[in-house]
Amino acid sequence: MITYELCVLFRMMPKAELVTCLKRTANAIYNKGGILRKLENLGTKDTPYKISSHGLVHRQASYFVYEMNVPPANLDDLSEELARDVDIVRKTIFRKNLDNEVEDCTLHEELQPAPYRKDVKDLIAKARKLDKPKFVYGNNLKYYPSRNNYYWIY
Amino acid sequence: MSILLKLPQTKRSLVNIIRCSSNISSSDTPKFDMENPFEKEKQKCILCQTGVQVDYKNTKLLSQFQSSYTGRIYGRHITRLCKQQQEIVEREIGKAQNAGLMSSYNKDPAFLGDPKLYDVDNPIRPHRF
Repeated sequence: MITYELCVLFRMMPKAELVTCLKRTANAIYNKGGILRKLENLGTKDTPYKISSHGLVHRQASYFVYEMNVPPANLDDLSEELARDVDIVRKTIFRKNLDNEVEDCTLHEELQPAPYRKDVKDLIAKARKLDKPKFVYGNNLKYYPSRNNYYWIY
Repeated sequence: MSILLKLPQTKRSLVNIIRCSSNISSSDTPKFDMENPFEKEKQKCILCQTGVQVDYKNTKLLSQFQSSYTGRIYGRHITRLCKQQQEIVEREIGKAQNAGLMSSYNKDPAFLGDPKLYDVDNPIRPHRF
């Protein structure tokens, strides 16, 4: 089961209206067969850039994050339904981050001089593969035939 | 010494003495199979060191990797992050900008006074510009 995060920006409106909007959005999730895990309020603040939606330009918005489980097949329908909502300025659905933790930091290897770095070594090896095959004298003989001739003459 | 070495008997005895002394294994002899004592400690990037989880909602953290002049994300040679962490940071910044949480053409003025995690003027590799 994949947990999604729905980040919604509501337009500026009185508290009572905002509550109905939140309920409406939650009901939309339920109607698509989803469940709510968490509802987070990130506050009402200025948007970093002006956003125009439904014929209005918004410079402030109320930020909310719904954490939910929805069948992936219904995700597009949900997104489309929320896009039709006039009170929603912007909505984005993300897959919830599982542990972003990195097992081992590779910074030490990356700070090495170029010929010691693995990616550079790989590049060089890749380039060597493209080299034209070189003619090898001696037909894979174990000895150098001309040298033998030399001894043979004298 | 040279006179001594000319006599075959003395030479042999000298060689014996040297051989014996080299074969002695006492506790004073250095062990040469030990690890390099001068090896430097492995460096870690600041996010791996602190174990901070990078999330798109944490715009205060993300904006520390953004230029205050152009809003662009600084490269790995400036931020001194490891490859994986830099990738994560770039992805999360992109998400935050799409969601309308973070600006992409400037840094939020509220975060301009944040402490610097790295020195912009001292990159690991020189700039292209």
